[in-house]
Amino acid sequence: MRRTGSALAWPALGKSLGVAAILAFALFPAYWMFSSAVDVDAAHRGATLIPTDLTLDHFVRVLDVGGFGQFMRNSAIVAVGTVLISAAVALLAAVAVARFAFTFRKAVLVLILIVQMVPLEALVIPLFLQAKNLQMLNSLLGLVIVYLAFSLPFAVWMLRGFVAAVPKEVEEAAYMDGASWGRMFWAVLLPLVAPGVVATSVFSFITAWNEFIFALTFLQDADKYTVAVGLQRFFGQNTADWGAVMAASSLITVPVVIFFVVVQRRLASGLTAGAVKG
Amino acid sequence: MTTSTARVAPIVPRGPAPDARRRRAARRRAVRPWVLLAPTLAVLAVLLLWPLVRVVDLSFQDFGLRELVSGEANYIGWENYAAILGDSYLWTVVLPNTVGFAACCVVLTVGLGTLVALFLNILGTFWKTVCSTAIMVAWAVPAVTGTYVWIWLFDPLNGLVASVLAGLGIIEPGTVNWYTDRLGFYAIATLNVVHHGFPFVAITVLAGLLTVPKELYEAATMDGAGAWRRFWQITAPMLKPVFAVVTILSTIWDFKVFTQIYLMPGGNGGNAEVFNLGVWSYIQSFAQGKYGMGSAIAVLLTGILLVITVVYMRTLFREEDL
Repeated sequence: MRRTGSALAWPALGKSLGVAAILAFALFPAYWMFSSAVDVDAAHRGATLIPTDLTLDHFVRVLDVGGFGQFMRNSAIVAVGTVLISAAVALLAAVAVARFAFTFRKAVLVLILIVQMVPLEALVIPLFLQAKNLQMLNSLLGLVIVYLAFSLPFAVWMLRGFVAAVPKEVEEAAYMDGASWGRMFWAVLLPLVAPGVVATSVFSFITAWNEFIFALTFLQDADKYTVAVGLQRFFGQNTADWGAVMAASSLITVPVVIFFVVVQRRLASGLTAGAVKG
Repeated sequence: MTTSTARVAPIVPRGPAPDARRRRAARRRAVRPWVLLAPTLAVLAVLLLWPLVRVVDLSFQDFGLRELVSGEANYIGWENYAAILGDSYLWTVVLPNTVGFAACCVVLTVGLGTLVALFLNILGTFWKTVCSTAIMVAWAVPAVTGTYVWIWLFDPLNGLVASVLAGLGIIEPGTVNWYTDRLGFYAIATLNVVHHGFPFVAITVLAGLLTVPKELYEAATMDGAGAWRRFWQITAPMLKPVFAVVTILSTIWDFKVFTQIYLMPGGNGGNAEVFNLGVWSYIQSFAQGKYGMGSAIAVLLTGILLVITVVYMRTLFREEDL
């Protein structure tokens, strides 16, 4: 058995090594984050791969003294606000470009693609000044409005595919039954594209939850911080409370990782929608 | 909404003035897409196009803290651009940082992502699922927290890497600080960005690989082509559009990296040696209060990305009609 298998053993061994390498490279930073978060002696663990003793102290410190619960609430408010508005607005636009033939339809599509490429990092100065004039700095609503610009073009682009995938006959059947366009939209189209709306919403949620540069620029008071900005709190001038930083990072990361794994397929296809032939 | 608009082609027109009714219905049909699009277009105009105009406008002004308070405009022509382009700092530090870093990240991200995709493609279903879920986790870790983990791993005093190297006797503990060195700084940033970026390439290329007909490989194998030749003669040409898209998207993303640089020690203003265009623009504006100068740098960055975007659009539209 050994002898006959030796020819095959090498590729199998190569595969195992490859799998091990991918798993190690992909997961190690996340592992290091979580394990530092529960390590009693996080700041001095050095090269100790497995925590010497487990503790939840870092989490308690982060939530109690660090006020991280407030930051997570703020982030959740901003993210949910962004998701609700952008899903509603994007769905309407997606129906328009997927279901209607009208002049400038193609121009609108190209516009949406182009604005997706505008580096928002380059717009932080004018948006900051605009928000300042409108007294929107230091407000979560101001952030929600800005994040719409992040999520909307992509959401329209992605939902367009989902709407287009609904067979026209289904719509026509609704009309035959005497439904108005509005009724058809609510009772027929919306339920059918709901999975697409969910997938798109998850993406908007993640974008808003993770966003850093605008949160950093707009928010001034600690009680308004979102998680991405709030993390900076655990850094001193030259030192960092690594146990706390990693515990807080874990709290930020877990919801995102769960969402991501749930929508993974749609996400990859959505990002390159229109580019990859299926 | 009335039901009459939607009902399709009544064969026998009934009721008064069917023509007028039909015309009204047609008009409503013509207006409806624009009604549906209106909120999106309004948001894009206010939040993207207007700021874009504004940033160009600002780049021609001397806009400092005084103007921030008074709101007055103080146009100075091309002076900001002259100052930036005439500054050797741009040519010796910022531009090499931006371009070199982006080039390294793109090559490594696309290379590693493709390798992983090719490898996943030969695995069985179970291990393929396990591995793709693992790289999804790498993708999902937010840029902010991911950056902090890398900073922690490379912490000069107690970090994993320093401890391992000290344990091996390669470095003296506490004497090496990678973050103060430009090359060391960017090596860590590259590792961070590649780790965060390769899953997208791997998943996309893997999806593309599934569309290549198996017969092509079988025929090539019969002709005696090795794995290397099969890749360059079948996979690469077949997946050209996929590679074009992931490369250009990665290029756009890696040119404007901000968070991963800004959060690293020295990146938020402490060490001017490590700025890239995005960070330089931000520091000029929000740390130095020179919003006009910062805007000019932002316009420069946008211009570079615009060129890349045009290339992207052309690649995309050659592939599929809208």
